[in-house]
Amino acid sequence: MTALRRAVGGRGLRGYYWLMLALLYLPIVLLFIFSINANTILSFPLKGFTLEWFQKLFQSPNLLGAVGRSVIVALAASAVATTLGTMVALLLSRFEFRGKGTLTSLAILPLLVPYFVLAVALLILFRVIGVPLGLPTIAIGHAVVALPYTTLIVLDRLLGFDKQLEEAAMDLGATYPSTLRLVLIPIAAPAIASAFITAFTVSFDEFALALFLAGKDPTFPVYLYGQLRFATTLPVLIAAAVLLMAASLALILLANRIRQR
Amino acid sequence: MTAASERLPAGAGRAVDPRRRTFWLLSLPSAIGLGLFLILPLLFMVALSFRNDLTGQLLAPFAPTIKQYAKVFGTGSYWNLLGISSLMAFGVATVATLAAYPLAYFLAFRAGKRAGLYLILLLVPFWTSYLLRVMAWRLMLDSSGVVNSVLIGLGLTADPLDLLYNRGAVVVTLIYVWIPFAMLPILAAMGRIDVRLHDAASDLYASPWQQLVRVTLPLSLPGIVAAFFMVFIPTVGEYVTPLLVGGTGGSMYGNIVQAFFVQAANWPLGAALSVIMLATTLLLVVIGLRIVQPRRLLAQ
Amino acid sequence: MHPRRSLSTTQAAFVLLIAVIVAACGGSGASLSPTAGATEPGATEAPPTEAATEVPPDQVTGDLTVLEWPGYETADFWTDFGGTYKNVNVSFQFGSTDADIYGHMVANPEQYDLFHQYTGWLQFDVDQGLAAEIDTSKLKNWDKVPDAFKKIGQINGKQYFVPWDWGFSSILYRTDKIPSVDSWAVLFDQQYKGHLSMWDDGPGAVTVSAYVHGYDEKNITDDQLASIKAEWTAQAKLNKTYWVAPADLESLMNSGDVWAGYAWQGSYAVTKGAGTPVAYANPKEGRNSWVGLYGISSKTKNMDLALRFLDQKLALKTNQNLVNLYYYGSARQDVMDGLNDPAQADAYGGAETQALLKDTFSIDDPNILQHTNFTPDLTDAQREAWTAMWTEVKASQ
Repeated sequence: MTALRRAVGGRGLRGYYWLMLALLYLPIVLLFIFSINANTILSFPLKGFTLEWFQKLFQSPNLLGAVGRSVIVALAASAVATTLGTMVALLLSRFEFRGKGTLTSLAILPLLVPYFVLAVALLILFRVIGVPLGLPTIAIGHAVVALPYTTLIVLDRLLGFDKQLEEAAMDLGATYPSTLRLVLIPIAAPAIASAFITAFTVSFDEFALALFLAGKDPTFPVYLYGQLRFATTLPVLIAAAVLLMAASLALILLANRIRQR
Repeated sequence: MTAASERLPAGAGRAVDPRRRTFWLLSLPSAIGLGLFLILPLLFMVALSFRNDLTGQLLAPFAPTIKQYAKVFGTGSYWNLLGISSLMAFGVATVATLAAYPLAYFLAFRAGKRAGLYLILLLVPFWTSYLLRVMAWRLMLDSSGVVNSVLIGLGLTADPLDLLYNRGAVVVTLIYVWIPFAMLPILAAMGRIDVRLHDAASDLYASPWQQLVRVTLPLSLPGIVAAFFMVFIPTVGEYVTPLLVGGTGGSMYGNIVQAFFVQAANWPLGAALSVIMLATTLLLVVIGLRIVQPRRLLAQ
Repeated sequence: MHPRRSLSTTQAAFVLLIAVIVAACGGSGASLSPTAGATEPGATEAPPTEAATEVPPDQVTGDLTVLEWPGYETADFWTDFGGTYKNVNVSFQFGSTDADIYGHMVANPEQYDLFHQYTGWLQFDVDQGLAAEIDTSKLKNWDKVPDAFKKIGQINGKQYFVPWDWGFSSILYRTDKIPSVDSWAVLFDQQYKGHLSMWDDGPGAVTVSAYVHGYDEKNITDDQLASIKAEWTAQAKLNKTYWVAPADLESLMNSGDVWAGYAWQGSYAVTKGAGTPVAYANPKEGRNSWVGLYGISSKTKNMDLALRFLDQKLALKTNQNLVNLYYYGSARQDVMDGLNDPAQADAYGGAETQALLKDTFSIDDPNILQHTNFTPDLTDAQREAWTAMWTEVKASQ
């Protein structure tokens, strides 16, 4: 019991965090090892150091294009999902109306639907309304899928937020839109940012919708899936994944360093 | 939560109620977005489930039939698998939520200024392809992989262990993947706990443990519930992880739905299976919320 | 109130800004460019001599959309077309199985100009009116395709498909774990429990059972299907995993998790090339063989361009790439014959690769092809029943 108390107290928790982090990064480390291994087959023993996979990566416009497309789709989908999620969260936390339960269920509904079922359903929709498939259709699919996450994250923040501040602002003469803009949104900002990042994460690596609703060119997961058929290109793909992750990490650390200045 | 008065006092002195306008501004895009891109496609899916087969024009009118539902109801193994998948989802959600709680606690109360950084560090691996990460996972766990080599080398086992390609592998992998996501709602809930409550608790000589159980836990309960359902609901229909690490024995319901779409070109049957799964999951969630609701009220 | 920030807004904003810049630099939306492929650059064959009134190839413009299998959009597989018709935009959309390709064609026929379907599924495309008849007089390379292959693309007496790639299905096994394999029945052998791997495909499973028990593939009765289902339900206990992509099986073979598996010939070449001790069986019931063919969508607006694409698909370099780089068979007789000619070793990536390919396709043994069973086209009823059977096998584990 004392150990548990101590754990709750501090050191144990920190250790737990780093343990989790290590577990999460373990496969990444392995991938990194294989991205500099001079062998097209992923197995031990290692055959020697090489940077040729990274070189080939930059000579591969199809791969780079696929990554770029994934980023664009993820940004668009996250923007839509976060905006819509925030709107729904505001509605649910600040207003009374009939159909509140329905709205909640609808916002959560995409979670129940396996991605490819939604993919086929959206495919039929786009056929009916005559929209050609392409990056926008994928983005719409991703926005739908990310909506439950964004709604829940922002909603949770808004629910716990003391409404007295809003009422105070309005008593002081602010209109509701201004109150939203100047009071609620800034307070909810961390949750909104969190929602955006979550939506981005969901979209970036999403495969089933991207495969079904794709237009001319693939996003990165679809491209990856295609290349996995022919295992000879595997190390280049791994190099791409490792680089992406390293770039994200570097960005984060940089942003953090700047913030701390 | 106390419901503060939502309506402005009658004599507020404003000609047009500004909240009314905001209300419509907020609800219209939401309604259109959800209606067009969620409800409508799902209705099409339900309609598809009454189709005889995938022939002819996709959008042509057809004579509805319950043939697909009859097929599903007549196949015991599908229901069995649905039950197993639900149980697996329950297990994954429970363990993932439990494992995520200390992480959220750490980030909310112990990480201080670095909390944002630590949080992002947890999420960054998800920006690597899941396919590749599982591939690396498989390399570590297969019969000639690192884990087995170490175990055999240490003499702990003579033959390599079957760590992959079974139901257990699916459950473990799913838990592993869900923990960072389950953490987010809990973190959000903890984020609005006034830290002064903790100070007050320790002023009253409460131990860290008591503080956890009496203050933090009840106040973060909505986050825990949200986390649980956020993991449970999609896991029932999960199919990617079973495909990758489940082997022959690790299939989940989602795999047979996918099989009918992608392997059999039998979209109507796949649609019927999906509808049944949606209905079942909804039912389970409703039951679950019924059970949890009273406690939520008490916690407030 | 004490603010609890899970992430600072400025931090997040900065990250996103950089992400946008990365995306812009990464290139966006451009169609796949054939002349800058990931592996071999496309060497062009001399363009077919055009009549004086025809537009020269590099002035032909247009767009083509191909419904393809993931991975086959690689520039290597259409290098001749890309090099000859530099101003035509080719884009690819994907279906991950024959059923998926067929499903996409039914759902969205106007979206595609060409599609890649394999034997067994061709009848459906024709029955649903999805495939247009192909005017082979426009294909200058048509005479390079042997009659037997041409026939495979003929349904109801008309030429609806152009054959392109082909290969075997047989048992791939590790010679250090299993001394020899002479029958498909090895997949049901208790001895190798936990070390077998079957392809995740219902019709494939029915085919294997048909070979083992001598059933007539075209006339599987209900009783036979029931016993097939029972057989595979039992087999599942011996099976390590069902593989979906060849790379899955290859990795399992290399690691020693799987000792015997249903495999296409490409997996033999890849695992052998990786140094794993493997052999590709010649079961007494005979190997299976399949052919991949391209059809033109009946709703295409680019018939002329599509025909040119198919013609270039049959050009030399494209087919050499298919064989050398990916170990698939080509429908061009001369490319396969060249495997036997040591003087042509360079065209096949060197003597070693040529030898490996010769071995993979059993060029030296004419008996193989004679004993090979070819995949017949399924009927609707068979497809429905066999895929349902397989799904039930998987569901009852």
